[in-house]
Amino acid sequence: MNFVLIFLIVIFSSSLFFYGKSKTKSISIERNIKLNALPKFYGYYLVLWSSIPALVFLLVWSLFEPVIIKSIIIETAANQGAIFNDKNEANLIYEKIKAIHLGTYFGDIDTILKESAISYSKFLNIFTNSKIVLIFVTIIASVIFSLKKIKNNNKAREDVEKILKGLLFVSSLIAILTTLGIIFSLLFESIKFFSVINIFDYLFGTNWSPQRAFIRDASAITAAEYDELRDAFGFVPLIAGTSFIAFIAMFVAVPIGLFSGIYMAEYASYKIRRISKPIIEILAGIPTVVYGFFAALTVGPFFRQIGESIGLTVSSESALAAGLIMGIMIIPYISSLSDDVINSVPQSLRDGSYAVGATKSETIKQVVIPAALPGIIGSVLLAVSRAIGETMIVVMAAGLAANLTINPLESTTTITTQIVMILVGDQEFDSPKTQSAFALGLTLFVATLILNYIAQRAVKKYREKYD
Amino acid sequence: MSEVKIKSNNLNVFYGDKQALFDVNLDLNEKEVTALIGPSGCGKSTFIRCINRMNDVIDICKVTGNIEIDGVEINDENLDVVSLRERVGMVFQKPNPFPKSIYDNISYGPKIHGKGETKSELDEIVERSLKKAALWEEVKDRLDEPGTGLSGGQQQRLCIARAISVNPEVILMDEPCSALDPIATAKIEELIDELKKTYTIVIVTHSMAQAVRVSQKTGFFHLGKLIEVGKTEKIFKNPDNKMTQDYITGRFG
Repeated sequence: MNFVLIFLIVIFSSSLFFYGKSKTKSISIERNIKLNALPKFYGYYLVLWSSIPALVFLLVWSLFEPVIIKSIIIETAANQGAIFNDKNEANLIYEKIKAIHLGTYFGDIDTILKESAISYSKFLNIFTNSKIVLIFVTIIASVIFSLKKIKNNNKAREDVEKILKGLLFVSSLIAILTTLGIIFSLLFESIKFFSVINIFDYLFGTNWSPQRAFIRDASAITAAEYDELRDAFGFVPLIAGTSFIAFIAMFVAVPIGLFSGIYMAEYASYKIRRISKPIIEILAGIPTVVYGFFAALTVGPFFRQIGESIGLTVSSESALAAGLIMGIMIIPYISSLSDDVINSVPQSLRDGSYAVGATKSETIKQVVIPAALPGIIGSVLLAVSRAIGETMIVVMAAGLAANLTINPLESTTTITTQIVMILVGDQEFDSPKTQSAFALGLTLFVATLILNYIAQRAVKKYREKYD
Repeated sequence: MSEVKIKSNNLNVFYGDKQALFDVNLDLNEKEVTALIGPSGCGKSTFIRCINRMNDVIDICKVTGNIEIDGVEINDENLDVVSLRERVGMVFQKPNPFPKSIYDNISYGPKIHGKGETKSELDEIVERSLKKAALWEEVKDRLDEPGTGLSGGQQQRLCIARAISVNPEVILMDEPCSALDPIATAKIEELIDELKKTYTIVIVTHSMAQAVRVSQKTGFFHLGKLIEVGKTEKIFKNPDNKMTQDYITGRFG
């Protein structure tokens, strides 16, 4: 229904473009006046004014309609004698009424429910009809308003610019509000978690075993149970595992990525570059789950065999396998981006260096790389955040056991992997186990934020600016 | 009459299929300023880039013929380009200081060639080069500030200082003043006058007045050919060739 309405509104207002254009043209001829803007701006003006108010109205209406209908229906049901003790029961009855209306309810239907269902469909009708009528009124009012403006030869160009600026502003506002919303939902759930588990026990605990928190209701934990729980949510093994695997990944990806980027930008001939750059970029297009089973089924066992042959115990799920494969996955980010920034270093700098007799590698090392450093660091940072946020490879190749270890041959786990483990399957949303996922998310978010901040400061301090 | 420092003999340059220089025979005298004039795209810059083999950087560029410096052929595959460029410095059209400190801009060349092993030796080279480039007084208190923060004229003098830091014999200048204002230009011209006591200088310029002011010898290029070469005075007062006459009087170009 709404889609049809949106479609009709868009079609109608788009067609007004031509009307506005020709109308203003004829006005300028009739009255022999110079228009304040090109005729097409009057067209745009009409289009924007006829569509935006109606669309906004439709949006607001659609947001509030279900809420209002629901409160009306629950109230009428109550008046007819339906009994419900709390909000949940009221919701249940409302869902039943809706199901009866749709014909998908197969339980017993008593008279109260039946009556309510009838009044539900009645209200639905009223609301839909009035919605359509009101949208028509809105469109007509806004068209009349804007036509009047056009006839008075308004400054359509400025007005259109203003409306467009407003639209762009609203878009960025939506992005910002969404971010804030995510942060706050993380924050609130985390606060619930930290009201049960002491934040210091969480931050400095060295043992992570959330499955011990089987207690259903977080608010009903006794002191004895709390003592049992307090060392189950230690964050240290997770951040250690995360940093460790990310470190291994960067250890693989930074040199290989950077060197291949330098080769592509400085040494490769046009032909080689044209062929090999897309091939490297394909690496970035492989789904991480494919890397994951490659790591789990090929690389992990391979390391174990090698380890066994030289007398080492290697777990078949190891930090090394996961980190290595993650590093390979990240190579194209670093190589492609550093290739681009190295290319954007002006040729004149290279010429200056060659002219005093520097060789190619000296020039690259001492002039090109320093000039491209901010961009290179940026690409490394992007790669680090990819490595920290990567989940699938770790789930499959590094295991789930939260070992606090620096032995790359043992299995370990990361923050993101644990979030997955906690939230997969049926969960009680008020148990500390589930809430800990939000705490983990929040800590990960804060950690990434700090990392970015430090890196940005570093780049600012050490960058060599060329113009 | 001073001695010939650089001698080109039937020099041809190709960019891919396009020929940029045709059989150029040009002698450049030691400790003299030679100006190369001619309309854009006539091959002046291509010619001077042959003298320090900067054309090597361009993949599709091919050079045939001979260029000798002090009687030694430099258009030779086996020649050590690094030591050639140590002897033949270059200053470019647009000032191109490295995004490093003023000090590092100057010490870059000497360090690469293993000159100035101690800090005090390097300090001395930096000071000497900046003094020769008439920039020392303006920057001596801020040697650790970035070279890119200087004004355009100062940047170009910094680049000249960078070129002379490795103590070359020849300095090539590719329209060194085209991006500068008249005051900065006057300073650079003064500097060129001073530098020619020590160095052989080749300058490409679009300004006839500049060629007259700074050079002793002038070569006129047109469409990749050297049309006429001679003493600057003669070229500008009484050229042999009609085309030269037309160009210097502003009838084309």
